[in-house]
Amino acid sequence: MSAAIEIAGVSKVYDGGVRAVDTVAMDIRPGEFFSLLGPSGCGKTTTLRMIAGFDTPSSGEIRLDGADITHVPAHKRDMAMVFQNYALFPHRTVAENVAFGLRMRKVDKATIAAKVKAALAMVELAGMEDRRPAQLSGGQQQRVALARAIVISPRVLLCDEPLGALDKKLRQQMQFELKQLQKNLGVTLVFVTHDQEEALAMSDRIAVMNAGRVEQVGTPVEIYDQPRTRFVADFIGDTNIFRGQCVTMDQGTGIAVGNSLALALPRPVAAAQGEVVSVALRPEKITIAAADQSETRSSGTSARGTVESTNFLGGAVLYRIVLDGGQRVLAQQPNSGAGPLHTPGQAVALGWRPADLVILED
Amino acid sequence: MPGSSAPRVNSLALLILPSALLFALFFFLPIGLMAVMSVLTGNPVVMPNVAFTTKHYARMGNDSYYLEVISTTLRIGLWTTLVALVIGYPLAHWMARIKSRTGHALLLMAVLAPMLTGIVVRTFAWMTLLSDKGVINQILISLGLIARPLQLMYNEAGIIIGLVHIYVPFMVLTLTGVIGRIDERLEQAAENLGASPWRAFLEVTLPLSLPGILAGSLLVFALAISAYVTPILLGGFQIMTLPILIYQQISANFNVGFAAALGMVLLVISLSLVIAYNHVLGLVSGQRELQ
Ligand SMILES: Nc1ncnc2c1ncn2[C@@H]1O[C@H](COP(=O)(O)OP(=O)(O)OP(=O)(O)O)[C@@H](O)[C@H]1O
Ligand SMILES: [Mg+2]
Repeated sequence: MSAAIEIAGVSKVYDGGVRAVDTVAMDIRPGEFFSLLGPSGCGKTTTLRMIAGFDTPSSGEIRLDGADITHVPAHKRDMAMVFQNYALFPHRTVAENVAFGLRMRKVDKATIAAKVKAALAMVELAGMEDRRPAQLSGGQQQRVALARAIVISPRVLLCDEPLGALDKKLRQQMQFELKQLQKNLGVTLVFVTHDQEEALAMSDRIAVMNAGRVEQVGTPVEIYDQPRTRFVADFIGDTNIFRGQCVTMDQGTGIAVGNSLALALPRPVAAAQGEVVSVALRPEKITIAAADQSETRSSGTSARGTVESTNFLGGAVLYRIVLDGGQRVLAQQPNSGAGPLHTPGQAVALGWRPADLVILED
Repeated sequence: MPGSSAPRVNSLALLILPSALLFALFFFLPIGLMAVMSVLTGNPVVMPNVAFTTKHYARMGNDSYYLEVISTTLRIGLWTTLVALVIGYPLAHWMARIKSRTGHALLLMAVLAPMLTGIVVRTFAWMTLLSDKGVINQILISLGLIARPLQLMYNEAGIIIGLVHIYVPFMVLTLTGVIGRIDERLEQAAENLGASPWRAFLEVTLPLSLPGILAGSLLVFALAISAYVTPILLGGFQIMTLPILIYQQISANFNVGFAAALGMVLLVISLSLVIAYNHVLGLVSGQRELQ
């Protein structure tokens, strides 16, 4: 009963010419946990509102299980939305809020009572039936909003940063519960967030958006390990981005960054000699060794530099290193307990495998 | 030390003194005087030996004419309020929800513009429309829809038309403020859960705008029952309302005591409405007090 959503070349231009969403295309599969991830103002909410039917696309089509729903009014779409601010009805009790969708579907009273009870039990709010939304904490309100949405067994669940207002602990707990719930119900879930960790942890697939466009759609692993564009590489996690001119090296194609750093590329690129190419390298893919004893350790490219700062993160250590050529690089090492930390001012040698370099589109 | 234990006057509290004085002088003093006059046999300034009396109130209660006047006044007030609400609510909703700034400005201007013209002028304008030889009757007759002119003024209907026109802006402005503060996403949430737009309005927006409906109605009702010019001109002295009666008692009969008693009736009606309003508001919003 979960549904597939196709978004085909959809744009939204607001009066005044703001192009909030620009020819977005994506296929959301039935039963999938699909995240829209991007910085503030990139068009996530607008996209979600068009799926829900609160906004009409300026062009393009939205299809639900193949049927064009672009102009179907919101109340006939059989989707349920959890709003960013919850949008609970302040004049209704918790139970009445949850019952609302069932009442609109003309479900009989006894069934409503049973379903409301079950839904509230599922979000662990049993016993709060007669409270008003204002008498609940933020986390409880959020769960009421969730219960109100899932109780109607919608074909699609739309969530607009539903965990945004929660503290870290509750947020992690709710992330887990939401994910469980979605799996158990088998519902298609479109999840909006600007928190990349949240998106990586929860999603089956992620669409990374920037300035109204979709930059990349993929699984969390693809998005993290194989970012397609500079924006994606930069937005997701910490990353080192090198820009340099395409050159021919002993090992094949490479790029020259500044005068003293040459990086071998993992595969040939279409770019001609001299053209500028960007590559990304994750901090945790870099190995660090004290300068004197390294040399032979890694088979790949290496560079020398000086530790600028050492950030102890608990499970890992993050180093900021200035290469001899002047470039700044982030390198992260697991806190494995082998040997002392490198201290600021220390000369170090960095190594990485060429395969860990990701060639980016601009 | 004796001096230091004396209660210190908060110097900020002194700042409200002028307005408090002004309020006492121009608000409570006249009302108090009116209340006193309504239970005296005459004016104490010119008649040295006045006595306490309830005869003014007794006169009202004993003569069905005066009760008639009071009920006419209330009836006109109620109808004016009701019609102003029915016309004003959709306008206010439109104004509160309109997206375009120009649209909002135009609507606001349309609502406010009539208020820039004097009440007398507007009432005369209505007379040229509503009278036997007025625009409406002439058109209907020339179209052959009616044979003789319709009685559109010099009756309660005419007064109500005039009053609605004058007081609808108060209703609209009060309602717009309240509706504008209702989160649009609440309606969208209702629609998202399967309510048609009309149903979403009935389930969400209407109950949440109840305080505005009450406040606007109270305002319009209080203004309508104390209106003087419009009932005189559009009623042509055929319809007697409390304010007209009060004016007559003072200017023609020089019966200030009776006029004061009538004034007290008007005041008590308005006052009890305000109290009822607060009570009802407490009931509908008590559930939301924690918001
Ligand atoms: N009603 C509107 N009229 C005009 N422009 C709008 C309107 N709503 C949104 N926009 C613009 O469209 C763009 C996308 O807005 P949107 O709300 O979709 O962003 P978002 O990705 O949800 O951001 P956030 O993470 O801050 O919620 C923004 O530049 C915003 O200013
Ligand atoms: Mg948003």
